[in-house]
Amino acid sequence: MSIQFKITYHLLKTIREDLERRHPFAFERVGFITAGVSAADGNLWVLARDYRPVNDGDYLRDKSVGAMIGPEAIRKALQCAMSERVSMFHVHSHGPCRTPRFSGIDLREQAKFVPNFFQIAPQCPHGALVLSDTSAYGHIWLAGDKSLTVIDRCVEVGAPIKIWRYS
Amino acid sequence: MTRFDRQSFLGVDSESILTASTIGIVGLGGGGSHVVQQLAHLGVGGFVLVDPDHITDTNTNRLIGGTLADVETETKKVVIAERQIRGLIESPRVFPVPDSWHLATGALKQCDILIGCLDSFVEREQLERFARRHLTPYIDIGMDVHNLGAKQFLISGQIILSLPGKPCLRCVELVTDDRLSEEANRYGDAGSRPQVVWPNGVLASTAVGLVVQLLTPWFEKPAEFVYLDYDGNRSTVTPNIRMELFKKKTCNHHPPNEVGDPLFDVRKFKPTTKTAIKTEGDNRDGKIHDKGRAAQRNS
Repeated sequence: MSIQFKITYHLLKTIREDLERRHPFAFERVGFITAGVSAADGNLWVLARDYRPVNDGDYLRDKSVGAMIGPEAIRKALQCAMSERVSMFHVHSHGPCRTPRFSGIDLREQAKFVPNFFQIAPQCPHGALVLSDTSAYGHIWLAGDKSLTVIDRCVEVGAPIKIWRYS
Repeated sequence: MTRFDRQSFLGVDSESILTASTIGIVGLGGGGSHVVQQLAHLGVGGFVLVDPDHITDTNTNRLIGGTLADVETETKKVVIAERQIRGLIESPRVFPVPDSWHLATGALKQCDILIGCLDSFVEREQLERFARRHLTPYIDIGMDVHNLGAKQFLISGQIILSLPGKPCLRCVELVTDDRLSEEANRYGDAGSRPQVVWPNGVLASTAVGLVVQLLTPWFEKPAEFVYLDYDGNRSTVTPNIRMELFKKKTCNHHPPNEVGDPLFDVRKFKPTTKTAIKTEGDNRDGKIHDKGRAAQRNS
C-alpha cells in the first residue's frame, strides 16, 4: 500500500502564511485541511481541497504547549467533516526546520482527537500534517480504532512539483 | 562519462528525480510516440502507456518506433512504445494499457504528470477533468492541418500546461460546447485528420521540455500556465495571447471541492500489505525530492 498526500502549491502557501501569523497569546497556530480521497489497486491518494484556520478566540491559554485549541475549534472541524463528507487533517508548522516531524506532544494529542472524526465521518480517513517552511510530513488513520500510518509521499503540485518521500 | 553526464546541468538530483518519476502518456500515435521516446532518452523510470489501437499502414508516416513488420503483425501501439523504452532504460516501470484510458484510471492515478496526445476534444476534456480531480498536472498537445484553399495548407498546433487551479482547456476555449457538439454529431469520431511527423515532433519536444521544467531544478521558476502556439508554416512556437491574459486567472470549471472520488468509502478500502505503526516518538527517515536541494535525512 502506498499513501500519498497531494496539495497545490497555492493552498500550501496560504496555509503557511496563515500559520505564521502571530496569535495574541498562543505560541503557534493550527488549522485543518479538508481533503477528498481516491483509491486504486490498494493505494490511497489524499487530495487537499481547502484550509480552515482555527479562529483566534478558539485557542486556550496553556503555557505547556505551543498551541492548545478548545472544544469549539474541534466542534467546528467535526461539523465540517460531517456536513461536507471530507477527510480532515490537523495541520501546524515547525517553521524553518528542514525535515519536520511530530513531537511527543503532537503524537499524544493526535491519538486523542483524530479518532473522534471517525464518529461522525467514518467513510473518510483522517490525520495530521506537520509542515516546515520547505517540507511536509503526515500521519493518517484509516479507521478510528486502528493505528496510525505514515504517509509515504507528500506532493506539492505546482511549478515545480515537489515530492517528499518517506518510504 | 556516464550516460547522463551531458544533461547534468538539469540539477544534481535530476537523474534520481527522473528515474523516480512516472509519466502517463495517453495516445501513442504521432505525438505520443515522440513523447515516449524522448522521456526514455531522458531517463524517466516510470511509464503508463495507454492506447487501444494497433499500428496500421497509415501510421508509418509518423509513429516513432513503428516498423513495417509491426504493421504486418498488427502490433499494439503500447507494445511499440514499451519496446522503445526497454531499449533505452534498464529496468523501467512500464504499465501498458492497450485499451481506453477510462480503463486505465488506477494506473494513471499513480502518475506525477499526464500527457494527452488525443484527437478527440471530448476525450481531452475528460482526461483533463480526471487529472484535475487527482491534482495531477496535465499537458495537452494537438496539431491540425487547415485547408486554406488554392492548394494552400496551414499546419498549426498547441501545447497547453494545465495545472490544478490554473486555466484549463475550457478557460482558454480550446474545448468549447460548439466543438464538442460538432464532434458528437460525428458520433465522437474526431475524424481522420492530416498528420505529419515533424510538427508532432516539435509539439512533443516542447511538451517534454515542460515535463523536465516541472520535475528538475534546471529552470528556477517555470510558468504555472503555458499555452504555446505552433505555426508549422513559419516554423515558430510562440506564446498564445491567452498565456499572458490568463496567467493569474483562477479556473472556475474545476472547483477544489470536486477533488477526489465522491463515492470513496474507507471502510470498503482494501489496502495492500503495509504494517501500520505505533510510535512513541517519530524519527523516520525522509528521502526528499525537493527541487533544488540534495536528498536529505531527518536530523
